[in-house]
Amino acid sequence: MIEAKNLSIDLGEFKLVSVNLSIETGEIFVVLGPSGAGKTVLLETIAGFYSPDEGNIILGGELANDLPPERRNIGFMFQDYALFPHLTVEENILFGTRYKRIEGAEEKFKEIVDTLNIGNILHRLPRTLSGGEQQRVSLARALIVEPQLLLFDEPLSALDERVRESLRDELRTVLKRMNQTSLYVTHDQTEALVIADRIAVMHDGQIVQTGKPDEIFNAPVNEFVANFVGVETVLEGKVISHHDGIAVIDVGGVEVAVAADIPMGGTVLLGVRPESVVLGTVDKVRESSARNNFEAKVTKLTPLGAVVKVGLDCGFPLVALLTKQSIEELGLTEGRKVLASFKATAVHAIAK
Amino acid sequence: MKFKRSSLMYYFFSLIGGLLILFILLPLLHSILSQSPPILLKEATDRGVQEAIFNSVFLAAVTAMVAALLGVPLAYILARRNFFGKSLVESVVDIPLAVPHTVAGIALLFVFGRYGVVGGPVEKYLGLRFVATRLGVVAAMLFVSLPFMVNSAREGFESVDVRLEQVARTLGATPFEVFRRISFPLAMRGILTGWVLTWARAISEFGAVIILAYHPMTAPIKVWDTFTQLDLRHSSAVAVLLLSVCLVGFVSFRLLAYGGMRKGNGK
Ligand SMILES: Nc1ncnc2c1ncn2[C@@H]1O[C@H](COP(=O)(O)OP(=O)(O)OP(=O)(O)O)[C@@H](O)[C@H]1O
Ligand SMILES: [Mg+2]
Repeated sequence: MIEAKNLSIDLGEFKLVSVNLSIETGEIFVVLGPSGAGKTVLLETIAGFYSPDEGNIILGGELANDLPPERRNIGFMFQDYALFPHLTVEENILFGTRYKRIEGAEEKFKEIVDTLNIGNILHRLPRTLSGGEQQRVSLARALIVEPQLLLFDEPLSALDERVRESLRDELRTVLKRMNQTSLYVTHDQTEALVIADRIAVMHDGQIVQTGKPDEIFNAPVNEFVANFVGVETVLEGKVISHHDGIAVIDVGGVEVAVAADIPMGGTVLLGVRPESVVLGTVDKVRESSARNNFEAKVTKLTPLGAVVKVGLDCGFPLVALLTKQSIEELGLTEGRKVLASFKATAVHAIAK
Repeated sequence: MKFKRSSLMYYFFSLIGGLLILFILLPLLHSILSQSPPILLKEATDRGVQEAIFNSVFLAAVTAMVAALLGVPLAYILARRNFFGKSLVESVVDIPLAVPHTVAGIALLFVFGRYGVVGGPVEKYLGLRFVATRLGVVAAMLFVSLPFMVNSAREGFESVDVRLEQVARTLGATPFEVFRRISFPLAMRGILTGWVLTWARAISEFGAVIILAYHPMTAPIKVWDTFTQLDLRHSSAVAVLLLSVCLVGFVSFRLLAYGGMRKGNGK
């Protein structure tokens, strides 16, 4: 387990204020925050490039405040990968094995190279590699020395959209397979949602909320978190049946149909965008192609300019976005019962 | 309209640049072309001239080596650390560029002379003398050329991304290992540039060397000596011999160093 307790540092223009984190072994912990929130400073402090003015960094039960970076056994993946330009891919990956005794280093090297599928570029120099390849090499270099914590500073932000999406799923799979304890910072909500076991939201050098992804997205503690993570509904559930490309997910006793290929029994996170939720009155059951229809109670109406954010309780929390006109036509008020529908294809499912 | 005006500017700038290049090349070419072959041959086969040229080339190389050994650590500190009095240290490093070289020679003579604060003990305990020895030549050359080594090496280190060093630390390398395997090889280009500039500057030094060590004669002093003993034509023959050796050395070293370096030093 890795802990940061009341970590504070004053860099003049910027301060980290009493940051508390605790990361379990094998957990992927994401710090989510806007640019300038202090995410990089936090990672650099944990890695040992800055020493904290106050507070403690505890690695596996031992105080690490005074350890230099090379003795902390904490890996670091930079945004632009920081590959050594004068060394080949293979030399880059093996760099750390000279300093840390790794058992079965050779098999480990082969295993990592296979897992990351970089066997065919081992003799190239970094500047001849694509962004995605550089990212894998940098990951391999960090993984081979078996760090007790691996820090990621927005490792996907330098890649283009398509590569980013496939790599972020892959990244989570690899980290989980190797049971690699990780602290990952990003400003991208979707990325956080896909990768995280738990999320901490950071703002102005402070952690404002820590929790599981669905807690952060559904129960933001303040306006900053709410605005920053957006109004997407995030639900956690278990797959209870699966056929014809439609999975049925049990979300706290309510069944939600999802058009996705997810194996039985697994835990999934479901994301529903508020604009894909359609509301109707309960008395007039409409014929519709939507597979998910729930009786719901309106819990909150929040005007947001031309549209209104409608908070719903269908056994799970759900958010819809409607125009003012629709609200009036349906005569929606807080406490009213409505029928909430969304299509199975409108649900974004993330297997965990 | 716009295009025409800017292209006019480029012609004008090129013209000025061309004049500058001529200003450098004309005197050199003129000395080479105005040589009388018999005198040139006579000087080229003269033992004293050969020795002087060898002294210059060899002792300048030794100087550059010493400069690298002493200058690289300082350059690394200046590139990577902020400390109280840093700008003072930076100014001190540059002082030899501003001090007239005869003044430097006299100052060196006081310290490294047979009764100087350094020269005295060194002669007493180590049996080494600076005045009129190769050691003295190197000391004088070193004084005037060190800034080139320190400043180029420093630029080399500054061009190395700090994050490469940080990553290496997280992979278990100690600061010295990081220096040895990352910073030093990546700053090699700057260090080599420093080495060449230092060497070139050391070869050309006259003022400081002549005061501390008239003998053993280096080539610039031999040129002066020939001028006072014989005449301008003989001394210019010696000058041209030194010039060609320097040019060949300088050009081939640049080609060798940068040709080899271009590979690894990407970005
Ligand atoms: N060494 C330093 N000294 C003083 N201020 C610093 C230092 N390093 C960073 N800062 C400042 O701290 C603030 C937070 O920087 P940081 O790089 O941690 O933000 P970030 O959350 O990583 O943002 P981004 O998403 O843009 O990378 C910034 O205002 C930055 O200018
Ligand atoms: Mg950052």
